[in-house]
Amino acid sequence: MSLEELFKEIIIEHYQHPKNHGHIEHPDARSEGSNPLCGDEIQMELLFEGDRIKDVMFTGNGCSISQSAASLMTEAIKGRTVAEARRLMEEYKNMLQGNDYDAGMLGDLEALSDVKKFPARVKCASLSMAVLDQALQQKK
Amino acid sequence: MDIEKIRKDFPILSRIVRDRPLVYLDNAATTQKPSAVIEAISGLYRNYNANVHRGVYLLAEEATQAYEDSREAVRRFINAGSTEEVVFTRNATEALNLVAYTWADANIRAGDEIIVTIMEHHSNYVPWFRLARRKGAVIKIVPSRKDGELDMDAFGSMLSDRTKLVGIAHMSNVFGTINPVREMVSLAHTRGAAVVVDGAQSAPHMKIDVRGMDCDFFALSGHKMLGPAGIGVLYAKSSYLKSMEPFMSGGEMILRVTLEDVVYNDLPWKFEAGTPNYEGAIGLKAAIEYLEALGMDTVEAYERELTEHALRSMKTVPDIFLYGPSDPAKKGGIIAFNIKGVHSHDIGTILDSEGIAIRAGHHCAQPLMIDCGVSAMARASFYFYNTEQEIDMLVKALKKAKEMFGHVA
Ligand SMILES: Cc1ncc(COP(=O)(O)O)c(C=O)c1O
Repeated sequence: MSLEELFKEIIIEHYQHPKNHGHIEHPDARSEGSNPLCGDEIQMELLFEGDRIKDVMFTGNGCSISQSAASLMTEAIKGRTVAEARRLMEEYKNMLQGNDYDAGMLGDLEALSDVKKFPARVKCASLSMAVLDQALQQKK
Repeated sequence: MDIEKIRKDFPILSRIVRDRPLVYLDNAATTQKPSAVIEAISGLYRNYNANVHRGVYLLAEEATQAYEDSREAVRRFINAGSTEEVVFTRNATEALNLVAYTWADANIRAGDEIIVTIMEHHSNYVPWFRLARRKGAVIKIVPSRKDGELDMDAFGSMLSDRTKLVGIAHMSNVFGTINPVREMVSLAHTRGAAVVVDGAQSAPHMKIDVRGMDCDFFALSGHKMLGPAGIGVLYAKSSYLKSMEPFMSGGEMILRVTLEDVVYNDLPWKFEAGTPNYEGAIGLKAAIEYLEALGMDTVEAYERELTEHALRSMKTVPDIFLYGPSDPAKKGGIIAFNIKGVHSHDIGTILDSEGIAIRAGHHCAQPLMIDCGVSAMARASFYFYNTEQEIDMLVKALKKAKEMFGHVA
């Protein structure tokens, strides 16, 4: 268990300079969630085009893990179909739970794989997944 | 104070965590236990365990005696007038709820006002919030000033003949501020309001004198003062307790039950339904005796030195912001802080990798977090078994945390 495993450069980079940070003017779906104990918060907005996630933006505040996960997650799903995004979330969940996962599918999100070695931090990494899940359920 | 000798009394303090000696700086959450407390509890189970206030045999007499001796120890520790006024509860939270569901429930009406401070722990806010909702009463909040002390002028102007209850944290679990309870009690009493003091953070660290303070209710938690978890105390003036309906009911709290009538037990047992946590009470007595042997004045003076050292050395961490009074005379050994660019949760993890335990989060004081414009803070909190070297290790680790996240905002 080393700190460098948790706080990888790419994680700190996404924490300090998050991608897809802000708002969508007329989003099709909007959701938010928080971890009451640590105060992490994420809001997400999605724009669909047919079956695809045309755009996704997030805002929030919290620790480096919760915020970088949101940044990496939005990068990973942008342009994908809803079904692909759901499969990706499944793989991400597998990774955080310490199960086998499809690394190819996760791409940069794999940077968060060592979070599982820090049980107290798994819920930080999971927050954006829960928020995204809620937003996808709003898709008609 | 012989700190090396004291540390040997606490078995957990020699534990190695993450390949390093444990540096335990989360004492506002709970404290570690000396061998005397651990042995008092195991001694009960090895030698004289029996349900209290029930059996006619020797073991039951011994267990009952030990349980009631603990009540006397608490009475002495907080300088209550009588053991009638010392009710055992699970913790401070239950003690505060007991007041909310008995005295306050019977005496607060629509339009009445309840005043609490912005520094309250949720357990001295949520029960009053719910009561106010139930009754249509109004809650008013005493704000804090920039220096982390209560705005006493605001308090003074809030008090009126509508004020029925005032709730005050004796010591803030975030700012560490020691609030002027004696003065607040006497102001509240001129308006005929009852005062509930939350002593969860003060009782472990300073001499408590409930009679001198003249508060009507005082709550504390055993686990924050060397005792086991699951035992707490409500002190209440007997004039209040006499008029109050029971909180929970069942065994122990009755004198006589027929199918037609129930006669409640005498004080304080009227408020202790069911088999009490006598194990916890016996552990708490050992904790109190340990503290008394050290002397609460000594504890307070030593912790003030630690706090002074911490305030001075923590300031050297780049981009750190310390919350609460900067004058160590105004506060206990609790320092909440944030470092620009490093979230408190990340600070907690980085410190943990060095064997240093601190708290990160909202500290069950979300109204205060909102007031400070943050969602979380890190917090280091000390007890008399901590040392200046440990604080130096904390400061070194904080600098490392700042470095890991670079000097970018
Ligand atoms: C000021 C204050 N009040 C009340 C409590 C509640 O204590 P307990 O959880 O033991 O009931 C705490 C504990 O954190 C506290 O710091």
